[in-house]
Amino acid sequence: MGILSNIVKAFKGGASEVGEAIVDANAVRILEQEIREADQAIHKAKQSLTQLKATEIKLKREVGSLEQDVSDYEAKAMQALEQGKEELAHEVAVRIADIESERDDKAAEYNTLKAEVTSINSMIRKREQTIQKNKRELDKIKTVEQLQKTTTQMSTNFAASGNSQHRVADALSRVKAKQQNWRDKVDAGEWMEEQTSSSDLDSKLKAEGIGESNSSADDILARLKAKK
Amino acid sequence: MSIVFEDLVYRLNAYTSAEGTTFDAVMNDNGVLEVVCSNNDEFSIHMVQTDTQLLTVTPLFHISEVKPELMNELNTQLLHLSPAMPLSSAGIQGEQYILFGSMALNTYFENIVHELEVQAENTLELLEAVSPLLN
Repeated sequence: MGILSNIVKAFKGGASEVGEAIVDANAVRILEQEIREADQAIHKAKQSLTQLKATEIKLKREVGSLEQDVSDYEAKAMQALEQGKEELAHEVAVRIADIESERDDKAAEYNTLKAEVTSINSMIRKREQTIQKNKRELDKIKTVEQLQKTTTQMSTNFAASGNSQHRVADALSRVKAKQQNWRDKVDAGEWMEEQTSSSDLDSKLKAEGIGESNSSADDILARLKAKK
Repeated sequence: MSIVFEDLVYRLNAYTSAEGTTFDAVMNDNGVLEVVCSNNDEFSIHMVQTDTQLLTVTPLFHISEVKPELMNELNTQLLHLSPAMPLSSAGIQGEQYILFGSMALNTYFENIVHELEVQAENTLELLEAVSPLLN
């Protein structure tokens, strides 16, 4: 099932009812229930998988140890043969046959179990993928549901502001005016700061006798004398 | 996992961004968090959350505010503009045109704030671009 296709269908059916058509409370509950049940099934499968895996490991160990026994007895049988103890060697061979039969049984059991563990594992993976997919679908539904909440809020606000002409244009010009006002204030602030800092600098320079431009009487006299 | 909106309200109201934007955040009765950014105090942003994401929705205008003969042109323009806008997309919800953004629930507060600030900016730019098509 594709929620997005449902949105399109609902939209074609009548835009204003989009939300209601998609967000059917029952559908959400069913989907949530499915996810919960699948989660529980996976949990159980994982528990039994743990037990099966433990048995599988145990069988593998047993098969290994039986194989070790076979090779031990084979070595002993060889020794007996080398020493010419044919009868003893025969007894050992009978034991080897027993062990081998037991090993084959266990190996068969092990293989069956191993296949079972693999299939349970892939089943769990498949279910988990389904759950993830369902959860994503559910999230789409919830997104629409949440968006509906904001729309309800919008409609209320819209009703309050009324369907006046140029609503957007008016709002835009108000924001722009505020922004301009704010920029003007910033500019004014910068200008003021510049003024303050430059007069500070002038007085500092004056105090140090640098850039002293005020003419003194002596300077004027000197200038007049020079003109003569 | 979820973001506690009450906590977000508190932090937003106390925050000033690097660009000097301040935020007025109010929790509505129906669980929608309404945020007014000082860089655009005419078009508030509505925040809601699902199990995985945080949604920021700015209502732009009602379908009835569009000049009927220019509806198609408006829709085409919005489709063109949408990919060009950082962090926000334009869409329709019910009978409202909206600008919206979405974030993962584990988004850092600073990034949420950035998203809000950018969305408020985008709103102004978008409306400026399409306002000739509105009543």
